[in-house]
Amino acid sequence: MKLSGLRVYAFAFLIFLYAPILLLPLFAFNDSTVVAFPLKGFTTQWFQNVWNDSDLWQAVRNSLLVAVSASVIATVFGIFAARASTRYAFPGKGPVMGLIMLPMVLPDMIMAMALLVVLLAMNVQLSLLTVIMGHVLICTPFAVAILSSAFQSLDKSLEEAAYDLGEGPISTFYLVILPLVTPGIISALLISFTISLDEFVVSNFLGSKDKLLSVYIFGQLRFPKSVPTIMALGAVLVALSVALLALAEFFRRRGIAKTGLKDTGGFL
Amino acid sequence: MTSEKPTMIEFKDVHKYYGDYHALRGITATIRAGEFFSLLGPSGCGKTTLLRTIAGFEGISSGVVLVDGKDMVDVPANQRPTNMVFQSYAIFPHLTVEENVGFGLRKDKRSKTEKAAAVAEALAMVGLAGYGKRAAHALSGGQRQRVALARALILKPKVLLLDEPLSALDKKMRENMQMELIKLQRQVGITFVLVTHDQEEALVMSDRIAVMFDGQIAQLADPETLYRLPKTRAVANFIGTMNFLPGKVVSTAGGKAEVEAVGFGRFQMDEEKQVTGDPSPEGATLGFRPETLTLLFEGQQAPGREAMATVEEVVYYGDMTYYDVRIDGAPAPSRLSMRNVFGRPVLDIGTRTRVGWSPGAMVMFR
Repeated sequence: MKLSGLRVYAFAFLIFLYAPILLLPLFAFNDSTVVAFPLKGFTTQWFQNVWNDSDLWQAVRNSLLVAVSASVIATVFGIFAARASTRYAFPGKGPVMGLIMLPMVLPDMIMAMALLVVLLAMNVQLSLLTVIMGHVLICTPFAVAILSSAFQSLDKSLEEAAYDLGEGPISTFYLVILPLVTPGIISALLISFTISLDEFVVSNFLGSKDKLLSVYIFGQLRFPKSVPTIMALGAVLVALSVALLALAEFFRRRGIAKTGLKDTGGFL
Repeated sequence: MTSEKPTMIEFKDVHKYYGDYHALRGITATIRAGEFFSLLGPSGCGKTTLLRTIAGFEGISSGVVLVDGKDMVDVPANQRPTNMVFQSYAIFPHLTVEENVGFGLRKDKRSKTEKAAAVAEALAMVGLAGYGKRAAHALSGGQRQRVALARALILKPKVLLLDEPLSALDKKMRENMQMELIKLQRQVGITFVLVTHDQEEALVMSDRIAVMFDGQIAQLADPETLYRLPKTRAVANFIGTMNFLPGKVVSTAGGKAEVEAVGFGRFQMDEEKQVTGDPSPEGATLGFRPETLTLLFEGQQAPGREAMATVEEVVYYGDMTYYDVRIDGAPAPSRLSMRNVFGRPVLDIGTRTRVGWSPGAMVMFR
């Protein structure tokens, strides 16, 4: 194998990208409160800390509640928007779709601040609900992007064939369209869930006393003593993320195999 | 023979606009029950749009579409007595073959076993017995086509609509399916309406053909009439090969027309049948098919009349030889086809030859 400049660059890039993540589990099992080499010894102390931290569990529960709600709502919105944009022509379609997709490129900070100002002006109490609203705004464009490609690859005559064979619009939707876009729906749910779970800016701005996991972790990092515990938590989250992405890819590939479509590459 | 059959579909002055685009321009036609009817024309002529107005996928701007005597204006696609075979076949990829074929039976009141028997029967009819459990996406093009046919025919529609169903198949497969479709249509006796841009396919399969250009029906007739007595130059050009040479109508009297063309001299035609079309500014044109001209070898007598010509081009096809011959005095060469029966020589370029022709095989476009 020739060691060309580009190859060295590619390796360096990957090491830079993943080495810090690989250090997480390493220090999570290190028997020292100081995160530094050399390693002191093996311990599961930090994982026990994670397990016993009731504040942390509360944050996990909050985060799961927000992530599940936001991903479900964003995906439902995504189905409507993707269906409308791929099947129907209506006046102002370009601008409307553009505005739906805008939060994808808009800095979270700006959206978070704007939402905060409006909510405060309207005297809305900050709660998990306001965080969910913010997360839906952020997740929807991703759901629309994924679902649009799912709806796009749907042959229009499949729908007409269902009408032709006696079905109405509603039964056609759940008998034909829904099964064929299911892989897209699962992808949209998982992506939205992941985005919501690690979202920090909006969670921090619009959150109340009920802290989300990301906000809780950030708060804990101020105390050097709890850093190894956060490392252990990080290791658990990495493992869960890998499992989740593997699951998403599994569903995507199964969907492709099931419908006999060509694999055009997933979101991975 | 077919004239006593009752009407199945009737178009009365059907117009269709897409914004400013006038897609259907006053279609008036009748399709009879049990007929194999084809809509033939180049892409963009409105043939698919017209088919979709029967299915109910396309509304019309004005006019009337009647199916089995009933105005279809307020009848949605899912309640029309028609079923369609789509160009892409539209086989549901997430279902098995039998789930596809039985899709339209969901609201059927029959028992599960009766429905399963109907599905098996439909599959057997299209030659796919035993394929029921297969995944639909694993089928070949020809098999998908058969599943689409079975799925539509299982509902025993009054009319089966076929939107270019053979265009995705290779030549051999297409020819096989043409024959199978004809047999199937005779067997079930359902009115078939086929959309195609392939004139050969239309000629082979149809009882009657409507040739469409620019949203209008240019001619509606049985295949033989369409081929032998095309009404316009466009129809003549679209179906098979036709030679055109300048000519003129000298006089008409008593249903006979006295016509004249360079190289052919003066002869008589049946005015009603053979003289056709609106007067054109370029003058009248004589039209004739390649096989109506014959090379005359030594000692052979023309059944009709004869002219002198020079061979300008020879194309050998195995069973046939195509010649471009220039009739003496004609401004352009004419295509002539000869079957290569045993012992018949193939002429060389430049050969002088006698050419036999017959006034009855010609048409004059005014």
